[in-house]
Amino acid sequence: MIAPESEAGVCEAVRGANGPLLVQGNGTKAGMLRPVQAAETLSTARLSGITLYAPNELVMSAKAGTPLKEVEARLAEKGQQMIAEPPHIHGEEQTIGGIFATNFSGPRRVTGGAMRDHVLGVRAVNGNGEAQKFGGRVLKNVTGLDVAKFLTGSFGTLAVITEVTFKVLPKAEATGTIVIRNLEAEAAVRCMAAGLGSPFSVSGAAYLPAEKTVFLRIEEFAASVKYRTEKLAGQLAAFGGAEILDTAASLALWRDVRDCRPLPAGAATWRVTVAPSAAPKILAAAEMAGLAGILDWGGGLIWLSGEATEAAHQAVTGAARAHGGVWWLMNAPDPLRAAVDVVPAEAPALAKISARVRQMFDPRGIFNPGKMRAA
Amino acid sequence: MEQPLPKAEVLARRGEILAGLRGILPGEAVIGDAISLKPYETDGLTAYRQVPLAVVLPASEAEVIAVVKFCHLHGIRMIPRGAGTSLSGGALPLADAVVVGMMRMNEILEINYEDRYAVVQPGVTNIAITQAVEDEKFFYAPDPSSQLACMIGGNVSMNSGGAHCLKYGVTANNLLGLRLVTVEGEVLEIGGKHMDAAGYDWLGLITGSEGQLGIVTEVTVRILRSPEGQRAMLAGFASNEVAGACVDAIISSGIIPVALEFMDRPAIHACEAFAHAGYPLDAEAMLIIEVEGSEAEQADFLGRIEKICAGFAPISMVVSQSAEQSAAIWKGRKGAFGAIGRISPDYLCMDGTIPTSQLPAVLHRMKTMSEEYGLKVANIFHAGDGNLHPLIMFDANDPVSFHKAEAFGADILKLCVEVGGCLTGEHGVGIEKRDLMSAQFSVGELEQMRGIKSAFDPGWLLNPSKVFPLSEHAPG
Amino acid sequence: MQTNFSPTQLQNPEIAVANDILRTCVHCGFCTATCPTFVTLGDELDSPRGRIYLIKDMLENDRAASEEEVLHIDRCLSCLSCMTTCPSGVDYMHLVDHARVHIEETYSRPLMDRVLREVLARVLPYPARMRAALALARVGKPFAGLLVGENQVFGRLRAMLSLAPDRLPAAQNLGGTVHRPAGEVKGRAALLAGCAQQAIAPSINLATIELLNRLGVEVVVPAAAGCCGALVHHMGRHEEALAAARRNVAAWEGFDAVVVNTSGCGTVVKDYGFLLRHDEMAGAAAKVSAKTRDISEYLLEIYQPSRPAPGVTVAYHAACSLQHGQKVTSAPKTLLRKAGFAVVEPKDAHLCCGSAGTYNIMQPEIAAALRRRKLDTLNAKEPDVIAAGNIGCLTQLAGDGVPTVHTVELLNWMAGGTKPAGLK
Repeated sequence: MIAPESEAGVCEAVRGANGPLLVQGNGTKAGMLRPVQAAETLSTARLSGITLYAPNELVMSAKAGTPLKEVEARLAEKGQQMIAEPPHIHGEEQTIGGIFATNFSGPRRVTGGAMRDHVLGVRAVNGNGEAQKFGGRVLKNVTGLDVAKFLTGSFGTLAVITEVTFKVLPKAEATGTIVIRNLEAEAAVRCMAAGLGSPFSVSGAAYLPAEKTVFLRIEEFAASVKYRTEKLAGQLAAFGGAEILDTAASLALWRDVRDCRPLPAGAATWRVTVAPSAAPKILAAAEMAGLAGILDWGGGLIWLSGEATEAAHQAVTGAARAHGGVWWLMNAPDPLRAAVDVVPAEAPALAKISARVRQMFDPRGIFNPGKMRAA
Repeated sequence: MEQPLPKAEVLARRGEILAGLRGILPGEAVIGDAISLKPYETDGLTAYRQVPLAVVLPASEAEVIAVVKFCHLHGIRMIPRGAGTSLSGGALPLADAVVVGMMRMNEILEINYEDRYAVVQPGVTNIAITQAVEDEKFFYAPDPSSQLACMIGGNVSMNSGGAHCLKYGVTANNLLGLRLVTVEGEVLEIGGKHMDAAGYDWLGLITGSEGQLGIVTEVTVRILRSPEGQRAMLAGFASNEVAGACVDAIISSGIIPVALEFMDRPAIHACEAFAHAGYPLDAEAMLIIEVEGSEAEQADFLGRIEKICAGFAPISMVVSQSAEQSAAIWKGRKGAFGAIGRISPDYLCMDGTIPTSQLPAVLHRMKTMSEEYGLKVANIFHAGDGNLHPLIMFDANDPVSFHKAEAFGADILKLCVEVGGCLTGEHGVGIEKRDLMSAQFSVGELEQMRGIKSAFDPGWLLNPSKVFPLSEHAPG
Repeated sequence: MQTNFSPTQLQNPEIAVANDILRTCVHCGFCTATCPTFVTLGDELDSPRGRIYLIKDMLENDRAASEEEVLHIDRCLSCLSCMTTCPSGVDYMHLVDHARVHIEETYSRPLMDRVLREVLARVLPYPARMRAALALARVGKPFAGLLVGENQVFGRLRAMLSLAPDRLPAAQNLGGTVHRPAGEVKGRAALLAGCAQQAIAPSINLATIELLNRLGVEVVVPAAAGCCGALVHHMGRHEEALAAARRNVAAWEGFDAVVVNTSGCGTVVKDYGFLLRHDEMAGAAAKVSAKTRDISEYLLEIYQPSRPAPGVTVAYHAACSLQHGQKVTSAPKTLLRKAGFAVVEPKDAHLCCGSAGTYNIMQPEIAAALRRRKLDTLNAKEPDVIAAGNIGCLTQLAGDGVPTVHTVELLNWMAGGTKPAGLK
């Protein structure tokens, strides 16, 4: 394992690489998508540290190997937070680089935006070992192609991210959650649509099918939370009576939703995103295949878990495709991971361009080959 | 402004090419005579003008594909064009290029309130999207000042912003998908109706790509429910530093206003002379702040902001008590460009971004430059996100005046980069800032981006004179 | 924008005015969004900004107008929606007026085009001739279907026939009449009786006079006054337009106000001061323009209804000449509401209905598209009646199921007059 302490070290390591590199922070996301066959691991875990934090400008820069928990702790000191609420599913070792490389976003993504919506700038080392910077540290930046956004969610297959600059926001003073029970999936999605379509800035909308319960979150100053939760609960009366959770209970609940706690553990886990109104049908198809699921983002995000079989995988991908959705295989035993489309295939016209773009970033094809699609 | 050499073989075959295009598109959809081509020689940046080889106005994706395939086959460069409101010369033609005007593709194809999206053609204006959904109390959030006329295809190409984007994000944060016709005439279906891309973020790459990667033929945008209401206030301060500090304090307090606009003394005076909105003429700087929510929430949020502002010894403060008063507060700001236009024959509207804490220093440096160049400048600043709009006043009929204005503008942009900002926050690089790109990017970084462009368009037929400095490395 | 006129060119006062107008345009393109032809055709050349650019090029190069310029400038409705939208205050109206004169002077139109324009110029401004033409049209209307084909001649003939009313109303020629109120005379106004209006819809003038008399205003239609000159002005026939203006300026001396109840004319009358600015009558013309009022402006302070609210929903159609040309936007609605009507407005109210003087004859396809668009937005509000302050709009929007009535007729009804014909 090569773990440089500086960006220059990363450049050297890349230049000197003799073959494929497994690119990672602390490897907490090694189980996502396809397994990478690489003799050498290049880790950014020692490229750690917050290099810029200007709370009044809503911006922070951190080296890729900085643990997420360090970032969040520092933000909390100033009453701020990561807007997209990245899950802590992969434990406390996950790095900020890994979060951005996988565009891993939590419940607040539904209205607050995903990690890729908050990336302002990225420093990365390309396949030639050249350190480059794209974007910057300002909130508005349309100078040149948006490579910073393109590298976000690229799973380390284009370049080695060494530093990320991102937008942050203040934590809300208070949080309230509307809880409505006894809803089947169709009604639940309609209920969440009504919530998200209300003027009350709902910032979380989740449904647990096993409990038949919808959760809608509002984050604001305390007086506003009280007003909005009460008013929205009233407007949703047709879906059922609502219980309203206070800040402490809400924070605990949404941490659980963020980290998928309610989802039964399974040999394989999938993530599907789709237009919310199609979620009930995908849930039903998944349930028919013996899988369990939970909904987030108002139904726009579906977590599924169950057996690690090709049949289960086809059920998920078939249902997603049928409704215009996409999927990620989040974890599964290696044989399954290597055998299936862990993310949708690219259409031929796009695949052609995609190959050229990857070539541009990584001419030797050494960065996480086969991570997204069979090499 | 240096342009790639026109291809002699294309110019020589002009007649054939026009005949070929007329075989693809009916009647007036192909424009080829000298007189009719002239109005297409420029866009919102009239300092640069170039009559194109031809203009085509396709009315459907199929027609776009046919035109693109024809041009690709014959090695003809293409310049996509929306409403032609670009302030960076994004639609400036080349002498050997065909301008592909997307204005006829102006239909809204689908609106879905349950899933909160709308599917629209690229020629739909920005405001038309909001107008189409406002009966249901929805809106499309990114609101560039030109939203009345600018088209969504152009918004996608430039990743347009607007005053609302502090709270709601820019175009890139409000899209779900699009259809892109590649230079070979193939259609890429990017994204869809779902959030997040599985695989590479092509949507993120294509947004803001300024016509370099393909021609957008359909866009799926997010639509949001409008808040219960909004209200504004204004505060005038004795210095830029104090106003800037007040901005910091507001942001740090945890309130994110829906709009936070900063105007300097020259801008205040120009706007007041035109709109008589009651702006404080003795203030060095003025903030207009808007919040959203129910009536009670508006009062609460404005009350908090009022308290914060009061801590900075404001020269004046007006907190709106009604919709009419809010409109009055905004009246001057909204007429700003027109107001400047009435006191100066012409103006250059610059667009750089800086870290907000640098504002007083940058304004100070600009004042010095203004004296050196002998040109007046007024500043409108999106205080919440650091996007600066210096308006440099000059006289287009005086060539010396224009060149000074251009040089002044370039110096401002370089200053923005120098203090940690960037060349453009909203208007795009276009032709205007193309030759300043090396102030912000290294040779390798420019090569990397050129490489991505080449992956989409190996022959550099799509808008080849924009964004990237002309280089011997770039083909075509 | 930068302009390129030589000092010699700028010595021509008309060119100097054009130069000033062109300089104020910053080419921002906002005007394109609210231009009826741009939203219909999607071509920069059919937008105000594009027309400004074409005119600029034509004038800078001292060039005779060519087919391309004429095509796109002819398509301009002169609705002036662009002027309402323009943040820089570009005086598009006077620029396009200048261009039309330039075209008339330098461009040789095809024969049929010239014939049609000549016929319109010799018929429309004269009520008696207009009546005769309408009588003929009534006879010809059933045969409109025989005029098959999209060529300009047949298209325009069909358009004219379709605009002619089915029944010819009673003859009206108010020139030289005085109408005194029953009681105290509180004001004296000259009324522009209008041309097409007297022939097609004499009830409008009757309602106007009746209402004004009711409110104590003496209404005079001087014999010496005639057509306002809008038609020939918009054809670029400059000398004829000036002659019309002079005649009316002289006829209207001495009145408190000149009241106009057809807004297409009102815009031109309010422009007499500019049109005659180099004339020996310049001072008098400026005075006439300054005292000219649309009927809704005139009524705003003095109108009083006397009947209870009738439970009628009125869709108010804002004529371009009124909302953009004269910037009268709220007065008609305020009056209608005061009269007791429920007033609704269509979406995209800024867009022209396609009447635009003789536009619906000269540009039948675009006019038809705009008509349909306007009617759809009006009908969406489910009104009982469509009200407008201009005979052109009322004619253009007629025949689709909802009656079209002049605002003043509705106001007169609620002040004690007869219910307008056509209202159920």
